[in-house]
Amino acid sequence: MEDKKKGLLEGIQILDLADEKASFCSKLLADLGARVIKIEKPGGDPSRGIGPFLEGFHHPERSLFFYCNNINKLGITLDLEHAEGREIFFKLIKKTDIVIETFRLGYLKEIGLGFDILKRVKPNLILVSVTGFGGNGPRSQYKSCDLVASAFGGNMYVSGSPSTPPLKPFGEQSYYTVSLFAAVGIILALRKRAHSGKGEHIDISLQEAVVSTVDHVMVRFFYEKVIAKRQGCLYWNNDFCILSCKDGHILLTLSLQWDILVEWMKSEGMAGDLQEEKYLEEEYRIAHMDHIIEVLERWTKIHTTKELFELGQLMHFPWAPIYSLEEVLNNPQLKAREFFTGVEHPEINKSISYPGSPYKFTSSLDRWKRASLIGEDNIQVYQKEFGLSKEEFERLLSLKVI
Amino acid sequence: MNGKPLSGIRVIDFTWMLAGPYATRILADFGAEVIKVQSKKTAKGVESNLTTYFNNWNRNKRSVTLDMSYPEAREILLKLTERSDVLIENFSPRVMLNWDLNYEKLKEVRPALIMVSMSAMGQTGPWKDYVAFGPTLHALSGLTYLTSFEKDSPMGLGYAYADSISGLYAALVVLAALECRERTGQGQYIDLSEYEAICTLMGPLLLDSSLHKKEVLPHGNRSNYIPAAPYGCYKCSGMDRWCVMAVFNEEEWQSLCRVLGDPDWTKEEKFSTPWKRKENAEKLDELLTQWTFQHTPEQVVSLLQEAGVPAGVVQNAEDLAKDPQLMARDFFIHLEHPTLGSTTSDRSPIRFEEDLSVNWKAGPLLGEDNRYVFLELLGLTEGEFSSFIEKGIIG
Repeated sequence: MEDKKKGLLEGIQILDLADEKASFCSKLLADLGARVIKIEKPGGDPSRGIGPFLEGFHHPERSLFFYCNNINKLGITLDLEHAEGREIFFKLIKKTDIVIETFRLGYLKEIGLGFDILKRVKPNLILVSVTGFGGNGPRSQYKSCDLVASAFGGNMYVSGSPSTPPLKPFGEQSYYTVSLFAAVGIILALRKRAHSGKGEHIDISLQEAVVSTVDHVMVRFFYEKVIAKRQGCLYWNNDFCILSCKDGHILLTLSLQWDILVEWMKSEGMAGDLQEEKYLEEEYRIAHMDHIIEVLERWTKIHTTKELFELGQLMHFPWAPIYSLEEVLNNPQLKAREFFTGVEHPEINKSISYPGSPYKFTSSLDRWKRASLIGEDNIQVYQKEFGLSKEEFERLLSLKVI
Repeated sequence: MNGKPLSGIRVIDFTWMLAGPYATRILADFGAEVIKVQSKKTAKGVESNLTTYFNNWNRNKRSVTLDMSYPEAREILLKLTERSDVLIENFSPRVMLNWDLNYEKLKEVRPALIMVSMSAMGQTGPWKDYVAFGPTLHALSGLTYLTSFEKDSPMGLGYAYADSISGLYAALVVLAALECRERTGQGQYIDLSEYEAICTLMGPLLLDSSLHKKEVLPHGNRSNYIPAAPYGCYKCSGMDRWCVMAVFNEEEWQSLCRVLGDPDWTKEEKFSTPWKRKENAEKLDELLTQWTFQHTPEQVVSLLQEAGVPAGVVQNAEDLAKDPQLMARDFFIHLEHPTLGSTTSDRSPIRFEEDLSVNWKAGPLLGEDNRYVFLELLGLTEGEFSSFIEKGIIG
């Protein structure tokens, strides 16, 4: 991996203490070439308990969630609550630029690893704390998770239909969002450090990360006093709607290039009264949205999603079929760009196909390394890099410090 | 140097709509000089400088006007490129090429330039010219299908999540490329696919689907993968008022039972272990709703959180605007705009020890920085400047 292509973040070392909430953060930076050492507590990180699992078999070294979020990192185990464990941690941070953590607010301080103490050991350290609600405020001690962050963050209220409960975006989206913000914050802090020589403690709230991605929701409230509601398969601005086809569902625009759309339907004898002149007025269309959807769906139902998608895109309609994951995996565009990356898992004798990076540039990393098994890189890191003797290493192992 | 992380970095911003401006707003918020290139012809609709949307996504940026259909505009743009570090665009793939402003050309005047092209599908591949907005990308990534209660009635997200995600990825690669340039002196050309960006967030289930050839189905607010029960959204008293709760372990379950007043049903065999609770989630949710329905979400959540159970209020826009937690952290920031008056927007969730939002300003007026950029920065004479305006090149 060290041969001709080096990552953009070559030479930067990160210690990852994060659980599921932000393990994706250092994964993003590892993909870009940073050296990331994930520190798990002896026995493994609890996020190894999140499914789905390889072959459905619940085991900490078979969590596909853990695989995806910890690819390209080294993995060691260390008990930070143990006095000797802390000493080792101090040694590790001397060679480190960044520490990422997601512990309960105040925990690091309680175990003697507060930022002020870490700074004494490594004066220009960058510490990133990702918590449910941030480092201060009345809810700072509240517990959080993806579901709680979605609720408090406002994305749930606007998803789902008027007749259903609010709906959380699928997957652990708030964790990915907050990880992206944290990764951006880290490189910003590196640049700031380059100017000032000083370290930084970045405080990131899961709730705020979600609120920062809700697009129209706050803008409409602040300027129009509109409280955005959920509209089911009708998009918030009424520009898109999900309709049935012969073989599935398609996302269609309702107003864009109206005359072209009506002309197309007319050529198939399916335009109904939509060809009447009054529908040329946008206001009239908005007032008769339900009827338009009804007529459109009569038309979409005689077509397959593929037909409408391909012809529609030729005419520059931003339409799309509602894909299942199987269809994503077989997508010709993603295949042509070699988006999926095969990663070797030697212990199960398999190469697993992972979603790759969404960017391509001259120094992209060629090869990826799978997430580590529990403590897989202990010997490499402790003995080879930090000079622990074999005896000392064995002793710490038996004390469960490592 | 104003002490902000990106002070001294100049960005040419050819982006529009949401994904691109979201990226350059992050750079501008942290001190980069972002120069948005607009023209009277394009500054319309959502790209009109006088709309609240434009203002929201373009704060802290400068604006110049340049009609790129003139060859002279290209020359001016090249001059600006010589003095810039980054160029970001999110046009469809042929636009920059039509202006003869692809990376190869730009690199001739500024070898260490970092250029990012954001497009729906990426610059290559059979779909490279496909058009897509946020919901299109959600649909193509499986996110719409899976964010639903039933497989036969897909719903998806009520906001353009993919745009924010693409914007964040773009900001991330720009920053990583700057970091690399610092070390090596080299520039980069980066081809970012918004479709791929959203697909990176479907990882675990894409693996599940490809490894096990099994159909992954939508499951509403329940999770087949999170070892928690109860886990879901519950109706509370009031119009369209809801709360969520998530119980991950035995301790949290016991705390929940205590809050409920230890009713007999909590001791039933079918709720005795986490897996049994998960198996009987429907019945469990029904019983819990009988309790939540009698309280406001705020009451439920404060009782549960005080007992150590993760819980949340499903907040709408108004709740967020008045949220005491967000207010305590000054999450919403007020900036004065010459025509919109006092504006409110979300601060960045990236918080440094020192407040970096000092000297922030609202979005620019159209061409507000023409004099600064064309005269001061590029050294056009007053004569050249007014003749370019007359010809509509600057305009």
